[in-house]
Amino acid sequence: MRETLTPRERFGLLVIDEKPDRCNIIPLVTSHAAEIARMKLKKYYTNGEAMARAQIAAIEEYGHDAISIFSEVGIIAEAMGSDFDYPDDDLPVIKRPALTKKNIEDIKIPVPKRDKRLPVYLEAIGYAYQSLGDKVPILAYVPAPFTTGMMLSDPNTFLIQTIRDPDHIKKIMEKSLQAAIEFCYDIIDAGALPIIVDPLASSSVISPKAYKNFALPYERALIDFLHRYDLDIILHICGNTEPILDLLLETGADLVSLDQVDLSLAIEKLSKRMRIIGNFDTSKIAFSSPEEIMEEVKNMVKRGIKSKKGYIASTGCEVPIKTPPENVRTFINAAKEVGWYWE
Amino acid sequence: MFKDLSPKKINLTEWSHQFRKISDQIIKKYKYYGNQDWGIYLSPPATFMVYGARQLKRLKFDNSFAALRLWGFVFNESERLFRAKQVGKKVIATMGDLGTIPVIVMSFPDCIPFYPECIWWTPFFNESFILLDMATKLGAPEPACFSRAALAAFYKKAYFPKPDLIFASTGASCDDYSCIMQLIEGLGYNPIWIEIPFRRKSRSYFVADDYEHTKCGIDYPKRFETYLMSEYKKVWQNMVEFTDINNRNYLAKSIKNANRLRKLVENIKKLSYEAELAPFPGLELMVIEFGNLYGYADFDEWTDIIEMVYETISERVQKGEGVLNPDALPIAWVTPSPDPYLLNLVEDLGCRIVATEYVINQALVEIEEDIEPFQALARSFLNASLIGSTEQRVRRIIEGVEHGRISGVLITNMLGCSHCAMETRLIQQMLSKVPVLSIDVPAPFGITEQLKSRIAAFVETIRCARR
Repeated sequence: MRETLTPRERFGLLVIDEKPDRCNIIPLVTSHAAEIARMKLKKYYTNGEAMARAQIAAIEEYGHDAISIFSEVGIIAEAMGSDFDYPDDDLPVIKRPALTKKNIEDIKIPVPKRDKRLPVYLEAIGYAYQSLGDKVPILAYVPAPFTTGMMLSDPNTFLIQTIRDPDHIKKIMEKSLQAAIEFCYDIIDAGALPIIVDPLASSSVISPKAYKNFALPYERALIDFLHRYDLDIILHICGNTEPILDLLLETGADLVSLDQVDLSLAIEKLSKRMRIIGNFDTSKIAFSSPEEIMEEVKNMVKRGIKSKKGYIASTGCEVPIKTPPENVRTFINAAKEVGWYWE
Repeated sequence: MFKDLSPKKINLTEWSHQFRKISDQIIKKYKYYGNQDWGIYLSPPATFMVYGARQLKRLKFDNSFAALRLWGFVFNESERLFRAKQVGKKVIATMGDLGTIPVIVMSFPDCIPFYPECIWWTPFFNESFILLDMATKLGAPEPACFSRAALAAFYKKAYFPKPDLIFASTGASCDDYSCIMQLIEGLGYNPIWIEIPFRRKSRSYFVADDYEHTKCGIDYPKRFETYLMSEYKKVWQNMVEFTDINNRNYLAKSIKNANRLRKLVENIKKLSYEAELAPFPGLELMVIEFGNLYGYADFDEWTDIIEMVYETISERVQKGEGVLNPDALPIAWVTPSPDPYLLNLVEDLGCRIVATEYVINQALVEIEEDIEPFQALARSFLNASLIGSTEQRVRRIIEGVEHGRISGVLITNMLGCSHCAMETRLIQQMLSKVPVLSIDVPAPFGITEQLKSRIAAFVETIRCARR
């Protein structure tokens, strides 16, 4: 089949409930892009232009349908005062969470154009938008309040406080929400569509009850804010989310990106109201043979395109940094082979 | 609570900042087709930038709430057309006549007319060659007018849905567009062709013809009116067969609706062009004029928006407020620019647009309501800009120059646009009493420092001439 549309046109049709020529294919190529650009990871996540160049190199290499501006989920917490280490060849690692040094009342809402690496993201968006923004949508990953909250805190203490001191957790959530909103203002003005990522709200980490009480209300508040702009919002939660599938409908997200979930079950439960994104196993894309990937991706996409409100062929989570490029190419080729809507 | 501030032109970031003050309740209040789920359109320019309208980063917009509504609605049109089909409305392409056939189409319930060729703005708003390059591949190369973007849009099916019917005018319409329409036909679409006659001026050689004149005082052979009526009846008949509805009362109502908007826009132009200070920017005023063609695919909502714009402008005029410097030089603009940035630029360089000839005169004049509807439509169309002589086309601007209201004339030409090639020199001669600048609108990204210098020199020439 011959492609008729650009990724931008394809995504544009998806979000207005129209079938594009074929399904969007957006494996979560984030920091893996640095590998494609033969760039040190530290350069990728500390230099906006470098991040954008790496993303553009990945688009040129793979021909997937969106640019993903992202390195890791600590960026808002970092701008709010959490300390990180920055290894040359790995992603930043949290060293000292802000709330081990200060009270929540003393933590300031960051200024995205100024504080820590938030400007790196904004610069990356601006560069990518100017370079490819007419052809390819730019997606900027924004940590949800729950994930930022946990990155502001010692994780064990944070989880215990969800039971012993929920009011304190809610204060952290409110501040994290405000910080996310401020970041989103600048992301939108720079030309990117915010994706809300909440990996630490996964059922692999917290119970459905904790998700309902502490994560969901703030995901929804952030999505409500973004809906003021009439934007179509993607919510990504890694890991196992089967126990909270029904709750995901309450977030108000327009597209939901899923990881370790039975795709058919997700389609059955969510696809009347949400577009489904997912969910190829990231360990398989890293370690399986191209032949295995080809077959499994085709099976996944054949099921995915039956999704009522639309489907994006994707990986369940980020493509691992060291994934062989041949495997990502195979993923995309497989999806392109079977993901057609138009005759 | 949002309250309009002192009028000025602001950029995208400033609009985003203002947008924070608008409540959720107000955002939800304005919607097209009455749909609360997807019909909301009150978004700041940044939203449309996220979806690819890259030029918005460089444009300046009026800072009123009415302008926010206007832009949100206009930029939402592509989605609106798809949504129309999704809810069972019929989407009817009405190409080439620019103003009259939509009045007939809107007489039929749930039929939405639109102009595919109006997509010529998209490559500029998106700062993108995607549509233009595709048009080239499909056989409409660079020397054709920017309306060739419509060819690519028909091919891609991503900018508007497949129309349920296509009415395509030919004859005395823009002939580049006619060629493009023929290429569109070659893609497998089946337009119903409508012939537009050329409005002859000279009586002396055609003594057998009886002549009439329009409300605007333009002479035309009477049999052309009869001919156009038969063409419009053909449109009507096709619509009747398509919808299985045949009620002439609806046509009279549609004419009334069209006139309501036309009167409003006429008042807006009069207020804006005659006020001591310019109460509204030229770019928004161009968008308003073009709204007369078909109301950007929801005529009622558009009319409501224009009422709000009118109130805003009236208030500003009463208060003596404006968006441009008091010493801005009054100019006329001839032929619309597909590049919106040019309108910003010309104002930034010191001009104020006080008269326009955007080739859509037929969509601006009121349609007579006390005669047979098809005759009224024909007589209205016979005021059209492009179907007669150059002198007729610019006579109002000549009058403006004679009366000292216009100090300069800017003509924007399109490469390959035949009437531009033929008329520009004639217009320059007819308007020789004031400085006239003719510029070729470059492709997206093509506005150079050299072009800016030419416009700046034009402004300086006007300033010197006025001294």
